[in-house]
Amino acid sequence: MKNLKRCGLTLVMLGYVASPSSMSSPHEDVKAPKFAAPKRLMAGEKLLGTGRAYASPVLHDLNGDGHKDVVIGDLFGRITVAYGDASGKYGAEEKVMDRNGDQLEFSNW
Amino acid sequence: MGSQFVDFNADGHLDYLSATFDGSPHISYGSKEGFSPPERLKDADGQRILISSFWNYEDKEHQKTGRSMADGKPRGERCISALAFDWDDDGDYDLLLGSYEKGHIYLQMNEGTKTDAKFTGKNIPVMAGEKPFGLPSKMTTPKLVDWDSDGDLDLIAGTFSDAYQSEGQGGGVYLSVNEGEVGAPKFGPVEELIAPVSLGGTEPQRPDLGLYPDPADHDGDGDLDLIVGGYSSWTPSPRELSGLEELRVEELTNELEVLEEEQTALYDAFSADLEEATAGLDSESEEYEERSDEVRDKHLGGLREMSDKMRAAQEELDELVPKPKRKSFVWLYERL
Repeated sequence: MKNLKRCGLTLVMLGYVASPSSMSSPHEDVKAPKFAAPKRLMAGEKLLGTGRAYASPVLHDLNGDGHKDVVIGDLFGRITVAYGDASGKYGAEEKVMDRNGDQLEFSNW
Repeated sequence: MGSQFVDFNADGHLDYLSATFDGSPHISYGSKEGFSPPERLKDADGQRILISSFWNYEDKEHQKTGRSMADGKPRGERCISALAFDWDDDGDYDLLLGSYEKGHIYLQMNEGTKTDAKFTGKNIPVMAGEKPFGLPSKMTTPKLVDWDSDGDLDLIAGTFSDAYQSEGQGGGVYLSVNEGEVGAPKFGPVEELIAPVSLGGTEPQRPDLGLYPDPADHDGDGDLDLIVGGYSSWTPSPRELSGLEELRVEELTNELEVLEEEQTALYDAFSADLEEATAGLDSESEEYEERSDEVRDKHLGGLREMSDKMRAAQEELDELVPKPKRKSFVWLYERL
């Protein structure tokens, strides 16, 4: 969509005035965005987040290799990661360890 | 639990901030050597930060306190998510606390510095338009992101609905656009981004319950997609059964009823033996523990055998007559 907005800006700069029917309003795109039908993400051969209790994902380059990883917390406070690669795929979920070598785990009742 | 990577203490390393169902935010500090074991965030007086409801680890029970609320009154609102956010743009992080119940968000100001935080311990309701920020059902977690690309941070949040239901409405994802400016946020009315839909279907089609969103540019095309964790709820289509299979369904249904009665009898016998063996003993004593272990060892085999039989019968029955299913996945909503 940003590309479209950039195109629109270029056209305005060139003196072209779009009619309301030919250009969607940015406001509409922000508050009523269009999404493709949801797809499940894979982690290696498995579906990402399977078996987790209330999987809470965040996209973040955890290992600093320039590729986005999916870090997942859950109800029990346990943190795992599926490392992304250059192809945009994710490896199998693995535990995130703290500096003492224990799984990163946030206290829950 | 929500999740945020943020350099909370301004030491040049990203930290991992979260909050759990114990009612308080926790943080794992990043360093060259990796993340520290998580610790609880405390206010300037050394008290644990919270909204009102919390799990008291010492008393081993859920409790409520009004000490952080403006009116001093406790209420049934539990902090299960936390975000670092420099609300007043003074260079240090303040805290946003997300409530499970009602989906309220509270602001707690940092009156210290970026390296020595001093949180007030007092919660200020965050508004969305003219009303306190709130969601139609319980909130999973809010996230901060510049959704409308105007240079300030907007709020996106998900809802639970009832995570164990297989009918009715599911959870959704909501947006509140920041109509203020950096240093003076003013969040607008809450609007739907992903509308809740009726549960059902014969296969997983979307996250239905407990939607944990993360707005991010997943495919690198310059716009924000949504990564959403959540449970899907569906019931596989039943297939047509042969006459023999229908008879087997009847047999298995009856067998499971009998096994359930036998399992209840086994548990009753276990309880009675345990009561007799430990009568008059202090439940903290070694003798109590030893006798309990003996009773448990005596009954464990039978209970396990029963559990295996029931599982096998149930699995066979589920193959013939599918039951509602509920499984957790992580989904991508790609922005078009």
